This record gives sequence, C-alpha cells and structure tokens, in this order.
Amino acid sequence: MYKARTAWLFLIPTGVLLLTFSIIPAIAALGLSFTNYNVFQPIEWVGIENFSRAFSDEDFWNALWNTFYYWILVTPALIVIPVFLAILVNQQLMGIKVYRLIFYFPALVSVVVTAILWTWMFKSDGLFNAALHSVGINPVDWLTDKFTAMPSLAIVTVWQGLGYYMLFYLAGLQSVSKDLYEAAELDGAGFWAKHIYITFPSLKPIIFFVTVISTMSAFKEFTLMLTMTAGGPIGSTTTLVYMIFEKAFTDLEMGYASAVSTILFVIILILTLINKRALDTTQQ
Amino acid sequence: MELKTVELQPKIQVKKSRKLSLKHRRNLLRWGISYTLLTLLAVVTIMPFLWTVSTSLKGQNETIFSYPPNFIPENLTFENFVTVWNTLNLPLYLWNSVVLSFWGVLLPLFFCSLAAFPLARMNFKGKNLVFMTILATMMIPGEVTMIPVYLTISKLGLIGTYSGVILPGVVSAFAIFLMRQAFIAIPKELDESAIIDGANAWQIWWHILLPMVKPMLATLAILKFIGAWNNFLWPLLILEDSSMYPLTVGLYELKGTFVSNTRLIAAGALIALIPILIVFIAFQSYFIKSAYSSAVKG
Repeated sequence: MYKARTAWLFLIPTGVLLLTFSIIPAIAALGLSFTNYNVFQPIEWVGIENFSRAFSDEDFWNALWNTFYYWILVTPALIVIPVFLAILVNQQLMGIKVYRLIFYFPALVSVVVTAILWTWMFKSDGLFNAALHSVGINPVDWLTDKFTAMPSLAIVTVWQGLGYYMLFYLAGLQSVSKDLYEAAELDGAGFWAKHIYITFPSLKPIIFFVTVISTMSAFKEFTLMLTMTAGGPIGSTTTLVYMIFEKAFTDLEMGYASAVSTILFVIILILTLINKRALDTTQQ
Repeated sequence: MELKTVELQPKIQVKKSRKLSLKHRRNLLRWGISYTLLTLLAVVTIMPFLWTVSTSLKGQNETIFSYPPNFIPENLTFENFVTVWNTLNLPLYLWNSVVLSFWGVLLPLFFCSLAAFPLARMNFKGKNLVFMTILATMMIPGEVTMIPVYLTISKLGLIGTYSGVILPGVVSAFAIFLMRQAFIAIPKELDESAIIDGANAWQIWWHILLPMVKPMLATLAILKFIGAWNNFLWPLLILEDSSMYPLTVGLYELKGTFVSNTRLIAAGALIALIPILIVFIAFQSYFIKSAYSSAVKG
C-alpha cells in the first residue's frame, strides 16, 4: 500500500533527533567514563581509572548512601498512601472531583516554586515548627540540620507525588468490576475484607507500575536538592545525580562525572529488573 | 386472629424503619469520616499555597513568621505584586516561558506523530528493529546523558539559544509510543480509499489521520506543556543572557537576590503559578486523561 521509501522519509527527521540527543549521547556517556575529559585539555583514554577512583571516593559513597536513603524515605510512602487516597476519592460523594483536583495540583507546580513554598514551611519560625510547637515539640532547623534535611526533602516529594500516583490507582480501582464487591458484601465481607481480598490484588499491576516509576524518579531527583539545600548541609543531601551535576558543570570533571552516570544507570537498570522479576513471580 | 394480625402489622413496620435508619446512620457515619479525612488532607495539600497568598498580600511592616501563624493580613495590599512586576522584569520572563512552551509543545507533537505514522500503518523491512530501538531509549534516563547532550549542544553552537533548550526534548520515545497507539486504533481501510482517491502519504497523515487523533494530541500537548513550562535545568544550563530566562530560572535568581524580602518572592512565585493554574482548570479532564495514558506503558 505504502512504499518502504515513504516510511523512511517519515522516520528520518525524528531518527536524526533521537540519534543526536539520546542514542549517541548514551554511548558517548559510556565512552567518556573511560576518559579524563575536562573541557580544557585534549581527551585522553584512562581506562577504568574513573571507576576505581569512584569506589575509593568518600564523596561517592556518601552520595550513593544519600540516594538510597532518599529512595527508602520516599518510595514506600508513594506506593502505599496513594492507594488509600484513591479509595477515599473513589467514593460517590458530592464535590469529590474538586478534592481530586486539589490533591493532584501539587504535581504540576514547578520545582522552583515548590522549593520556595516549602523553604518557608521548614524555616525555624515557619509553619511546620508552629504546628509542632502547638503539640509541645521544640522547633527544629529542618533544612540546615544534617539529620533532618533529607527527611524534609522527602516530605516535599511525598506532598508533590501523592495526588499524581493517586490518579493511577484511581484508574485501576475504576476498572475493578462492581459485581465482585457486591458478591463479597452478600458473603458478609466488611470494609477491610473487601479491600484485602479484592482491591489490593486487582491493583497489583498498578502497584508495580508505581513502584518502578517512583523508584526511577527517586534515583533521578536532584532539582529539589539543588534549589532547597544545594546538596548541604555538609553534603547530607548530595545525591548521585547532584554529584554528577556538580562534578560536570562546576568542577568540569566530565570524565569522572560520566563514570558516576554510568554507575547510576547500572543501578537503575538492576532495580528495574528486580522490580519486574518480583512482579513476574507474584503473578504466577 | 384478626386482632393479632392488626397487632403484627405495625410491629413489622417499626422493625423495617429501624433497619433503614441503621443503614442510613452507617452511611452518614461513612460520609462524615470521608469528608473529615478529605478536608483534612486537602488543607494539608493547599497549606503552602494559602500561606504564600497570605504572605504576598502583607504590607512591609507586618510580621510574616509568628506563633501562632497569622494567615489574614492586617493591611491587605497588592503593593508586592506591583513591585515585583516592575523591578524584576517578570513580564519578560513570562513571555520567554510562553515562547519556550509554545515550541516545546508544537515541535514534539509534530515530530512524534510524524514518526508514529509509519510505525503504526506501514509495513517495511526493519520496522520492528526501529520500533524496539525507540522503545529501548525509554530506558535511558536524561540525567545519565546530560553531559554528552550538553557537549553536543555546545558543539552545534547552540549555547545561549532557545534551540539549545528546546531541541533535546523534541523527540521522546514515550510520545511516539502514545501517538502510535492512537493511529493503530483507526481502521486501515481509510488509508486504502484515500490512496485510491489519489492522496499521497503526507496528505493522508495531515488531512485524515491527524484530525482523528485530536484527543491524544491534546493529551500529549498537556503533558508537554507541563514539562516545558516547568523546565528548569536545561534553560539554567544552556541560557547565558538573563533577558532570555523563563520564569522558573528567573524565579530561582529572584530567590537569590531577594533572600530577605519574603513578600516579594511570594508574589513572584504566585505570578509563576497563575498560568499553570489557569491551564489546569481549563483543561482538567485532559490532565486526568494524560495521567491515565502515562500508566498505559506499565
């Protein structure tokens, strides 16, 4: 019906862009990992030097730990809480659409605006401490204390993500057959029984999806760290991507930064494969 | 006998109505709990916004941080908005954001649906390989390729230009995938009859297929708009001249220069929020749909 030549004509413009900004850069990132490229001097091949440097670099281990720490704080909350939020907004109530929109809105706010809003929430005389004060807890300097800085960023991430992931679960809930619930009710199932035996099992694919997506975004997040804490205090919010950004664009150590990118890519790949394997076995 | 039945009748009715009221009461309780929880969560969600609105409306002499927090300004004033608008060139930042978002929506829509067309409706050698390669690029996070892409932009001489900001985001595997799904759903006979009528491939794509996938285009446009409007890192890296900054980067600078003047930053942050709030309210159903269709790939 169509000539093969026509197909390629349609694919060429996109193909060129995809090669230039995605496929070749991916290969180049791997290639740069084995060089000492620093913008000023000619590129030199240094073998695995960058990788061995990373594994003996305290800053790298710190960034790796911070990345996992942030992930552990954020991902379970973003997998579990939105389920209950979705159950809550899946009821037939007056004005429920307005509630859904309110919960979803933070997901649309740019990181810079989010950073501005929440920096004030976390100030020593900000709203957060005012709320704690009313229950008799002493004020904390959330963003400048090395123990509370990362949990504070995690709170912001959860605030922003709840409504976003709620929508996926909501889509899942609405595709569950109502007959199942009616049958369960006839059998005398209560609120919890209905959800444990019907809702959660049928949401399994969505739970997997949310796990993968929130894991990926947790490992990639760094604009919050850049705008709210600038990686501090004392490197306590310097994650892997933040470290890559700093090494590449402040210190101009492009080769070393690329090596860290490559390690990050491998970590993300492994986590995704684990996630997928976990789902495959639970579905069998 | 007769007396007995007369007596029984009201008894049954009483029992029935009591049962109804029990169910009714349980429903009321459920509504009560639901609304309380929903409202509580909604308040927590919008608290930062409320506080910003209140701060931006406060006069210079009013305290901002106090215990207990004071949400209602004593002297309501719009002075902060006027000041920030005049001193910071916010109209320019706003315009830059509009320009960047316009191209950041239009170009991806055009190029991704262009590539999706042959992948959905033509048969040619190597099609599967091309499609699998495109899907595979979804696995490469942008953060990993950040350095080579920056170097490429620099080699192309595009540092300090809008093209340098926009071009890396034009083609995404996910957008191609969504458009392909939309095209596949259209019956193939349409193309056949159009060819018999003498239409060429370009005409079929532009005049027949694209108008039929308008809902998907709108969904994709919304997704791309959020991304382009909120884009922060690329403009920060690529642009050098502050007169070219979009709102996000402008606001980041503002945060640095006006550290002490919380009221002005609050006003600036709200001005940056308004456009996305308007778009969100106007196209809310598309926003929900776009989130749903993002779940498709899972």
